[in-house]
Amino acid sequence: MKTAASPNFLLSLLRMPWALLSGSYHFINRLRANRAGFIGFLGLIAYFILTFIMPYFIPFDSEVNLDEIAGPVGSRIQLAVHRDNAHLKTFEDLASKTVGVVDQTGGPSLIAPYADSITIEKYRWTSRRAGPGIRAALLDLADKEIDGMLIFSKTVEQILADDEDLELQAVYREHIVISNPELGPPHLLGTDTQGRDIATHIVHGGRILILTAVIGGVISTLIALVVGSLSALLGGPLDSAMTALSNLILAVPRLPLLVVLAGLIRFDNTLFLGVMIGLLGWPPLMRAIRAQVLSLRERDFVEAARSLGLSTTHIMFREMLPNMISYVMINFIFAITFAMYEQIALLVLGLAPIDDYTWGVMLYFGRSRGTLYNEDGASMALAPVLAIAFFQVCLVLFARALEEVFDPRLRSAV
Amino acid sequence: MASHSSDLENARVNSPNPVKYVSDFFDRYPIHKNYYLRIFLQALVTIWAVMSFTFVLVRLMPGNPVDVLIEQILTQEGISYQEAYDRVAASFNIDPDASMLDQYVDYVGDLLRLDLGTSITSPGTRVIDEIARFLPWTIFAVGCGFLISFVLGIVLGMTMAYYRDSVLDHSLSLVSSFFTGVPNYIWGLLIIIGPGITWKWFNVGAARGTYDPGLTPGFNAEFIASAIEHALLPIFTYVLATLGSWMLSMKSSTASVLNDDYVNVAEARGLKDRRIITSYVGRNAMLPLFAQLSISIGFVLGSGVVIEEIFVYWGFGHYLFQAITVRDYTGIQGSVLILSSTFVFSNLLADLTYGLLDPRVRITGEK
Amino acid sequence: MAAKRQETVLEVDDLSIVYRTKRGDVKATNHVSFSLKQGEAMALIGESGSGKTTISLALIRKLPKNAVITSGSIEYRHNGEIQDVLRLSKRQLRAFRWKDCAMVFQGAQNAFNPVLKIHKQFEDTARSHGWTDKQAVRERALNLLELVRLDPERVYDSYPHELSGGMKQRTLLALGVLLNPQIVILDEPTTALDILTQRAIIDVLNDMQRQLHFSIIFISHDLSLAAEMADTVATVYAGEIVEMGGVNDIFYQSLHPYTYGLLTSVPTLAQEQDLLQSIPGSPPNLIHPPSGCKFHPRCAFATAACSQDEPPLIQDFGAHLAACWHKKALAESREERVS
Repeated sequence: MKTAASPNFLLSLLRMPWALLSGSYHFINRLRANRAGFIGFLGLIAYFILTFIMPYFIPFDSEVNLDEIAGPVGSRIQLAVHRDNAHLKTFEDLASKTVGVVDQTGGPSLIAPYADSITIEKYRWTSRRAGPGIRAALLDLADKEIDGMLIFSKTVEQILADDEDLELQAVYREHIVISNPELGPPHLLGTDTQGRDIATHIVHGGRILILTAVIGGVISTLIALVVGSLSALLGGPLDSAMTALSNLILAVPRLPLLVVLAGLIRFDNTLFLGVMIGLLGWPPLMRAIRAQVLSLRERDFVEAARSLGLSTTHIMFREMLPNMISYVMINFIFAITFAMYEQIALLVLGLAPIDDYTWGVMLYFGRSRGTLYNEDGASMALAPVLAIAFFQVCLVLFARALEEVFDPRLRSAV
Repeated sequence: MASHSSDLENARVNSPNPVKYVSDFFDRYPIHKNYYLRIFLQALVTIWAVMSFTFVLVRLMPGNPVDVLIEQILTQEGISYQEAYDRVAASFNIDPDASMLDQYVDYVGDLLRLDLGTSITSPGTRVIDEIARFLPWTIFAVGCGFLISFVLGIVLGMTMAYYRDSVLDHSLSLVSSFFTGVPNYIWGLLIIIGPGITWKWFNVGAARGTYDPGLTPGFNAEFIASAIEHALLPIFTYVLATLGSWMLSMKSSTASVLNDDYVNVAEARGLKDRRIITSYVGRNAMLPLFAQLSISIGFVLGSGVVIEEIFVYWGFGHYLFQAITVRDYTGIQGSVLILSSTFVFSNLLADLTYGLLDPRVRITGEK
Repeated sequence: MAAKRQETVLEVDDLSIVYRTKRGDVKATNHVSFSLKQGEAMALIGESGSGKTTISLALIRKLPKNAVITSGSIEYRHNGEIQDVLRLSKRQLRAFRWKDCAMVFQGAQNAFNPVLKIHKQFEDTARSHGWTDKQAVRERALNLLELVRLDPERVYDSYPHELSGGMKQRTLLALGVLLNPQIVILDEPTTALDILTQRAIIDVLNDMQRQLHFSIIFISHDLSLAAEMADTVATVYAGEIVEMGGVNDIFYQSLHPYTYGLLTSVPTLAQEQDLLQSIPGSPPNLIHPPSGCKFHPRCAFATAACSQDEPPLIQDFGAHLAACWHKKALAESREERVS
């Protein structure tokens, strides 16, 4: 027996990649029958690429740009020149000319590579004597004292709409044109209150959230699986104790308990928060698994295995687990959604660490800095809100589809 | 044959044997099998467990809150250690010299008299009074939201099951996935950003608090209208967030009831459609939803902490959050206790309703 | 079981039903015709899946959604009026069900709504047919419950789960005749019951029919029950009636190999064990049924002709009809076997 087993084992190892491939092919095929579930599945893949792969290619925009505050979707840096010089469109055209740049705006980093060929005239962001630097620069441009200037598209609109400063408006209309409306890269999701690109924050803001949620999900599912099946199989005082403990944890609404714990302990590590969430999240699933093991124990094939004298571990891992694995998988996904829900709730309330700039932290700042209540800040608040909402919906759609792909009888088990 | 067996039962019940043992007593009066008594006792045991849990929680917290507070008062007010200790002990209802067991007995005794201690951060305010001020608003908003979404979910879920695989069913399924998937506070934020700020359908700022300032609480139309107006956004959010799961559960449970024999037989009996839909399909399909009720109530009640913060609705969650930010330990302790008790009692209520709806559970005690 | 010359209450003519499924059309009932007289008890016998239940469901138009009636008519006659059941409006159909034709379903275990007391369900039924006097309903129901030998007061005030299986079956019988219907359809009324309860139900049924004069159609694979209850017996195979006649004709002079096979597969006390036979093969595929006589692949008498031409259901003598090319050979074989 033993000698025959090892070549078989090797053979099965060789077959594994093929089995995996054909397995996933069949799985995806079955999933495709459920259109909503398939969309959820594709969405999750997209989220994986967005949050785990794209950050390697897209740097986090941490540059504070006072000019670019709360820019709308697609806003960008433009090149403004005097009407007479409308042919000046690129930095190359501006060689040996003078270009006005206002302090602490998106201009410097764009123009820096051309510093050798272009003369840069610096304007202070604001000074007591001359007022706003942008105003001073525009007036100089109208007087042809400088040849061009970098200006944020939203600022241009504001100048044109500004009824307070009719003089500047008139000067602008008369002398100045935007010769290159696409000088800088566009901000796909606009900019935040510090003029930073929101899209890059979305790209970088999901990884830690998702990791934390997965940690929470793994921990609570594992505890539920182990405690639930041990309670059911061993029974006795362990069962009573674990059932009582799960009842106690269930008796305190979970989010307030987490809020209290987070408020009192003050987590300094986001991942530790995931552990905490997992430690509190297992009771509902544990109950379901306990009930399932109890009922599986009575089924014929388990009875048969027991009467053959097979060990408890064998029965557990070979007979019962395969029967519960799909159920556990589905609940694992739901556990992730709960962990996500809870950690972001804590983040929004400001009770979780805000060192990592995640979607949750973006919401926290959106609330604490009032951008949420500001029409201009719509993009800033909406971007993380939608990122979270769609991620959760994808998870739910995927889990629902799994329920249907796997044994439909299990659906009523919760 | 049937009458034979029932005669036997009658004979036993009417036997004049005296009660000799405890087991005889239970045989004659099977109160341990009484559904209502049992769920009531269960609720009491759970509340006792939570009481003990909060007792331990406050004493095991990292940086024992008692010590932390004493430290705080010492640095702030420069009084003697003994004075500070006495004040903290008084707030917590703790007798410092007593043993742990005596402290526990005192604590339970105080709780039975509904004495939750006094607030640490605003001395002289009794925690129970504060909770009594905030909790009704949460119960009002959560209760309304819960009821609306339960009823709406049942109606929509049944409709989906009756028109299974139609366009209506598929679109409602997708919508319900959105409702369940999107976290409830995210719905809250979306309501604020969309209709509130961008489209200006309502004034977000004016919806703060629980009623317009200057109104006297009572049974007058103005006050009630104002209270409803302020609770509207939280209620709407609770409805959105729970509707989806009720819809889907009701759909699958209705679908399975529709396959049951008694519905078929009811149709063959020539019953009117409305009667079949309400008393035969609806009432039976609703039963499995009661099994989820307890988890759902806890979830919605708990989510109040965030929702109330987001809408600045001055309910219980708001109070708890304030207590946490200023580290009012007695306030936190009382809040956890009362919140859990509210949860346990609403579960009790749900179980009682379940017992009324399903005669079987009163005997077997199993859902 | 004195069947007097009485008027016909039900006339089924050329009824065909198919189930539309993904794999194709299942021809569950093919050109079935029969008639039922007042006070007559008719048994439909056959293996499970032969289409007996489909026929009975069609009588009250309670077929599953994917079923389509492709041909035929079902005429119900009462007080000189003739109604085509297949053409009834929704409202008429609701009134027809249970008041004119009641059906006692297979497996009465779940026939009652578990959350309503029995008396509610009696009252529901009565009220839906315009009978609102609760007291009168109660009196009638208690009488009927007495008739099915239950403790009337106790059962009437019980929840379904408080009754045993046999009690539920009998309660359903009582409910079935509550509105004094002309026809009662019984679908496997005794399966899943123990032998003593079966006996009790048969007695109750006989009693009730004697007192209430309704017609019975019952569906069973239990031949002893059919022998005991029925005036007329029809054998159903592959959605067709292959033999129909008086109960004695069928049981002692069966003219179709399938009926004969059914009879010899039932053990009797008098019979010797080695005479017990089962019918070889399995029920035919109703999506692609065999050509000719549908029984020929399983038939011991089959010849080449059987696989080509379908034998007509014709009567040779008396009111005994059979669809077989080899009635004579069968009769001879039967004689041989008995001797």
